[in-house]
Amino acid sequence: MQFSIITSSLLHVGFIIFTILGLPIFNNPNVDIPPIIQVEILEITEQTNVPEISKREVEEKKIEEKKKDNVKINQPIMKPKIEKSDEKVKDPAPEEEIIKPETIAEKNIVNMPIRKPVLKKKDNFDELKIAELIDMAQDTKPIEDAKDEEYESLDSTETLSDKLTLSEEDAIRSQFLRCWSVPLGIKYDDSMVVKVKITLKQDGSLMKPPEVTDHQRMNKPSEKYFKVLAESALRAVRRCDPIKAPAADRYDKWKDMQLSFDPRELLR
Amino acid sequence: MRIVKYLIVISLLFINSAFALIEIDITEGNREPLPVAITSFFYDEVDSIKLNEISKNLSEVVSADLERCGLFAAIDKDAFIQKNPAMHLRPRFEDWRLIKAQALVTGRLKLVDDDKLRVEFRLWDTLAEKEIEALVLITTTDNWRRISHMIADKVYERLTGEGGYFDTRILYVAESGPKNKRIKKLSIMDQDGANHRFLTSGKELVLTPRFNPVKQEITYLSYFKNLPRVYLLNIETGNQEVVGDFPGMTFAPRFSPDGSKIIMSLAKDGNSDIYVMELKSRVVTRLTTNSAIDTSPSYSPDGKKITFNSDRGGSQQIYVMDNDGRNQKRISSEGGIYATPVWSPRGDLIAFTKNFKGSYAIGVMRINGEGERLLTENWYQEAPSWSPNGRVLTFYRETPTNEAGQGHSSTLWSIDLTCFNERKIDTPEDGSDPSWSNLMQ
Repeated sequence: MQFSIITSSLLHVGFIIFTILGLPIFNNPNVDIPPIIQVEILEITEQTNVPEISKREVEEKKIEEKKKDNVKINQPIMKPKIEKSDEKVKDPAPEEEIIKPETIAEKNIVNMPIRKPVLKKKDNFDELKIAELIDMAQDTKPIEDAKDEEYESLDSTETLSDKLTLSEEDAIRSQFLRCWSVPLGIKYDDSMVVKVKITLKQDGSLMKPPEVTDHQRMNKPSEKYFKVLAESALRAVRRCDPIKAPAADRYDKWKDMQLSFDPRELLR
Repeated sequence: MRIVKYLIVISLLFINSAFALIEIDITEGNREPLPVAITSFFYDEVDSIKLNEISKNLSEVVSADLERCGLFAAIDKDAFIQKNPAMHLRPRFEDWRLIKAQALVTGRLKLVDDDKLRVEFRLWDTLAEKEIEALVLITTTDNWRRISHMIADKVYERLTGEGGYFDTRILYVAESGPKNKRIKKLSIMDQDGANHRFLTSGKELVLTPRFNPVKQEITYLSYFKNLPRVYLLNIETGNQEVVGDFPGMTFAPRFSPDGSKIIMSLAKDGNSDIYVMELKSRVVTRLTTNSAIDTSPSYSPDGKKITFNSDRGGSQQIYVMDNDGRNQKRISSEGGIYATPVWSPRGDLIAFTKNFKGSYAIGVMRINGEGERLLTENWYQEAPSWSPNGRVLTFYRETPTNEAGQGHSSTLWSIDLTCFNERKIDTPEDGSDPSWSNLMQ
């Protein structure tokens, strides 16, 4: 009797293990979901006034040009996982949508990586994290379920459109850097970054006065340098008013903006 | 349970993205001097005879001060659109923005009791459309120049966050005559060269004058019977006294930040060391005991540290020690010969003279010796002295004598740390060994 129970139990356990390992429904296929990278091909000089390239960048550029024969094209763009921003995660990008090195070579855009076209540290939306989360979610749900529920709710078009394109960002940045007279005399430390929130009308003009997010710090007697820096940032915003606005059909995406004025490179 | 956790994480992600804000980093900016409009101060018609000239001069001195520092550009008065006195109450900001002024200085002069001058000044932010500083000063009419410097200081302080340095004076050694028979007189002037006067007649050789940071008093070195001695001179009363009677020669005296002590080097038996003297008790304490030459001591602004130079390592280098002589360590390491270290009033930097590859440079380094920056190089220049806000240095520069024994000159210069804006300070005669005062009280 006892022997039968033990044998039966072992067989049952063995069967369950076999089922888990053998049936595809329990197997984690570890689907490789490519990170979403936003890329736009354009002539930067026509669109923006990118700051003067530093000596180091120039040197890097020269080295890069020397290596051009071997490398042929910039590394970040060569990654085969690049998709256009309007692609959805659940519909893998078709082959022809991937920006091929040859296409870029033809357009002779050698210096694209001056601005990294990949993920930005400070963005609230982190594509890699989402990809990771989706992977994790798959551990607990069948693939079909994941496709139906999670993927749909993580519609990449919707999330990506919260951002401006690189050219739009550059165009805005270049306007503010021209307007910003940096107070060069101030004593710099790492906390000297001023964040200014602005709300814009459709024509690019200020809807309401710009606001320093850490305005309480401005009023502290010990923070006179921060106050001077914050005031210079506010002056820059007002001096640039109205800015040349991005496309009106995406107004709800750029209506509210946060500008981080960071004088690190200028004052160190 | 895990599913619930993931769902919570995903929900939080959505909350975050719902409030996602476009964020743009601006890490470059305009390095050009800030355009400032400095208007002539208004006055009542009845005071026009006395105040016409003062009004014009006052705004010119303010403009010159602000331009000299390199951080501001005064806009040409001919470009001004609004010219009526109403601007002092409420400027038409759009008019000032049109000529690219980011700050506006307006003012009003009035003669009050006993011909006293009442100066009212306002600083406006033309883009924020608000007054950001205002001041009323009452003084005698002949004091208009100091008032101008004080206004310039206020503008500088409000727009840079740093204390100003225009209401200050420079002490220096005026030099004249052939190089082998040089006459050296102690002299003083405003930082812009105005109100120049000689303090000594030139009979005795004078060297290394230094201001007391808290009093109208100076210390300097003068020769008596061919021996250099340290003197104290009150520049208001003219009283002069010898600081102690030492057996050897004394050099490079300098006050402590609280003005209570003088630190100097004293040479005995061919060895020079650092000593400090308590002025009240005249008690002298020896701080270094090295067999090498230790000289040019200078206190940190908190009085806790001292920088000096020494050739104990073979060549002359910069060292730092505690105020009691302990923890002596070398900080200069970039090669070359270093001299005349001076601690910045802001505490963050040490200025020095450096002899390297046949030329002399004025430079600064951080107090741990890192981040050395050479600001200016020339055939011969030395003796940097800080402005009270620690942003500008004054020093002197010499030109070589040619084969005919001519061409030698010694002139005073200033350079600011931000824009490397180098300017010559005009003096009636040649000048050397400048020392910058604190803001006048």
